[in-house]
Amino acid sequence: MARILVIAEHRNGALSEGTLELCKAAKAIASAAGAQPAAALLSKDGSLAAELAKYVPEVFTVSDGNLENYTADAYTQAVKAVVDAQDVKGVVIAHSYDGVDFAAKVAMALGCGIVSNCNKIEAQGGNITFTRNTYNGKIQEQKTVKTDKFVATFEKGAFDKEEAGGAGSVTAVSASISASRTKVKEVVETMAGSVDISQATIIVSGGRGTKDKDKYNDVIVNLAKKLGGEYAASRPVVDSGWTDAARQVGQSGKTVTPKLYIAAGISGAIQHVAGMKGSQCIVAINKDPEAPIFNIATYGIVGDLFEVIPAMMEAIG
Amino acid sequence: MKIVVCVKEVPDMESKFKIIGDSKIDESQIAFKMNDFDQYAVEAALQLKEKFGGEVMIVSAGPERVAKEVRQAFAMGADWGIQVQDPEVDAGDSFVVASALFGAIKTIGDVDLVLTGVQAEDDQAAVTGVMIADMMGVPHCTNVVKLDVDGKNMKVNRELEGGKNEVIEMAMPAVLSIQSGMNQPRYPTLPGIMKAKKKRLDVKKAAEVGCTAVGAAGSKTSFVKMFFPVSDHKAEIIQGDPKAAAATLVNKLKNEAKVL
Ligand SMILES: Cc1cc2nc3c(=O)[nH]c(=O)nc-3n(C[C@H](O)[C@H](O)[C@H](O)COP(=O)(O)OP(=O)(O)OC[C@H]3O[C@@H](n4cnc5c(N)ncnc54)[C@H](O)[C@@H]3O)c2cc1C
Ligand SMILES: Nc1ncnc2c1ncn2[C@@H]1O[C@H](COP(=O)(O)O)[C@@H](O)[C@H]1O
Repeated sequence: MARILVIAEHRNGALSEGTLELCKAAKAIASAAGAQPAAALLSKDGSLAAELAKYVPEVFTVSDGNLENYTADAYTQAVKAVVDAQDVKGVVIAHSYDGVDFAAKVAMALGCGIVSNCNKIEAQGGNITFTRNTYNGKIQEQKTVKTDKFVATFEKGAFDKEEAGGAGSVTAVSASISASRTKVKEVVETMAGSVDISQATIIVSGGRGTKDKDKYNDVIVNLAKKLGGEYAASRPVVDSGWTDAARQVGQSGKTVTPKLYIAAGISGAIQHVAGMKGSQCIVAINKDPEAPIFNIATYGIVGDLFEVIPAMMEAIG
Repeated sequence: MKIVVCVKEVPDMESKFKIIGDSKIDESQIAFKMNDFDQYAVEAALQLKEKFGGEVMIVSAGPERVAKEVRQAFAMGADWGIQVQDPEVDAGDSFVVASALFGAIKTIGDVDLVLTGVQAEDDQAAVTGVMIADMMGVPHCTNVVKLDVDGKNMKVNRELEGGKNEVIEMAMPAVLSIQSGMNQPRYPTLPGIMKAKKKRLDVKKAAEVGCTAVGAAGSKTSFVKMFFPVSDHKAEIIQGDPKAAAATLVNKLKNEAKVL
């Protein structure tokens, strides 16, 4: 039977949470496409194979010294080896930093179509339709693949995590993997800072809509102080140097789960939302009624943050 | 050093979007601009040119109006460019666009570096640069936030989740996708804008750059439809003028959500 093959993501000897979500996605696609879910573990020694086999009926391992660190070159060769050796219909990859780095290369190596950054699948008569965000999350589109095989990458959180349960088979696929043209030297920490916003119970976060550094300080920092909370920011605010990197919330920043998260002048891009959607109460202040942030907020005010925030300060007293 | 930057024109995301017949955006309502991430790529290329000499070329695929974004890159300091202006490319998927850009890059010849943005704000695909690298037969690195060049060798920081970077060594020629925040993109100066008007912009059809994968036939994926997301959860929108709304909100945060 054809397989929907998850490429397991792992660092420092552990499977990523995203991998378990991919196992769920593969199961959904497989049942719609008359296929069976499976996973590939590409690593130095296959030591996570038994762990991975708790989530899928079949695990294929490619083990090679050149797979010690993730690289696009080595991963692509290894995926190709599994697809050549087994009956694989689709390859499912996380839309993570590593996934984005190699998924399109796999699609090129297989000569097949790729639909990236998906969050949903639907099946119509064995034909799989992928749903994905476009236009900064304001619009969604559906796509299908014209080729026999497909590669799809999935947004983090698009599927629940698959439950551990089974004890799938583990099969080694032999392949000789040549050295990558990119060499990994080290992994470094770049956001060390004096504050740890992940512990705050109230966070006031400002986005590009706060306009400039002085205005950001004026509204966001002051409201945070008034509420006895911490101030934070979306990525463009940090990129522009209006505040420190340690205060960035999102996929490439901190994950926070305060009681109250106030997002002002933040559109609600998936990479930002990834870092704050677990907050207990979310307030969105945005002048654009269609901003995606309103889809995840508890309370929203459609308006100019430079009018709304001073009025909030007054109301707090 | 010969550096190509791929620049895409995208809608301003604060535009009012209207969908026509669940298949396309009503472009008459849209303001267009350069893809944010591509500005960082242009800046990175200009800094390399300032340090090591050479040339910065812009390639872009899109209708006539995208010349505005190419000229903006010229005004920042890029030297010349190629615009693949072909409705059959615009009708294709990422694979077709990558094939067209690759074709344009090939006509330039002996390119050391190709820089792209990490993703286009409109299609959010994050695949084009990797595809171009594969077509060129060169290595790539995505989400680059730092770059040190020494001859043909590069030390590249690739961004990872949660504030980490992976430090990578690789050699040119290569394709790098540039992440926001890597630098502070410069604003075009007035003399820059004047000069930009006279810089060379070659306008080509797909066939003229040797690209045969075009249109729906050349694509590996098909578009089905587009729609506004329906959220099963929508915020409770608090009505009223800013003062009244703010007062109601504060009251709700205190007494309903009990988070203040
Ligand atoms: C790999 C990758 C990782 C990323 N990681 C992160 C991350 O960790 N964190 C992150 O935040 N982003 C991240 N991003 C960027 C993300 O995609 C968005 O670009 C970013 O979150 C947008 O920030 P923003 O909402 O502040 O700006 P915009 O999207 O520009 O939104 C600004 C908003 O302000 C509103 N506005 C403007 N003026 C006013 C006003 N006067 N009053 C009220 N509202 C106003 C507008 O309507 C708009 O909705 C990442 C992107 C990539 C590709
Ligand atoms: N039509 C285009 N013209 C020029 N560059 C493009 C085009 N489409 C994509 N790119 C480049 O590829 C990057 C990633 O785009 P995407 O893969 O569509 O998300 C962009 O930031 C651009 O640098």
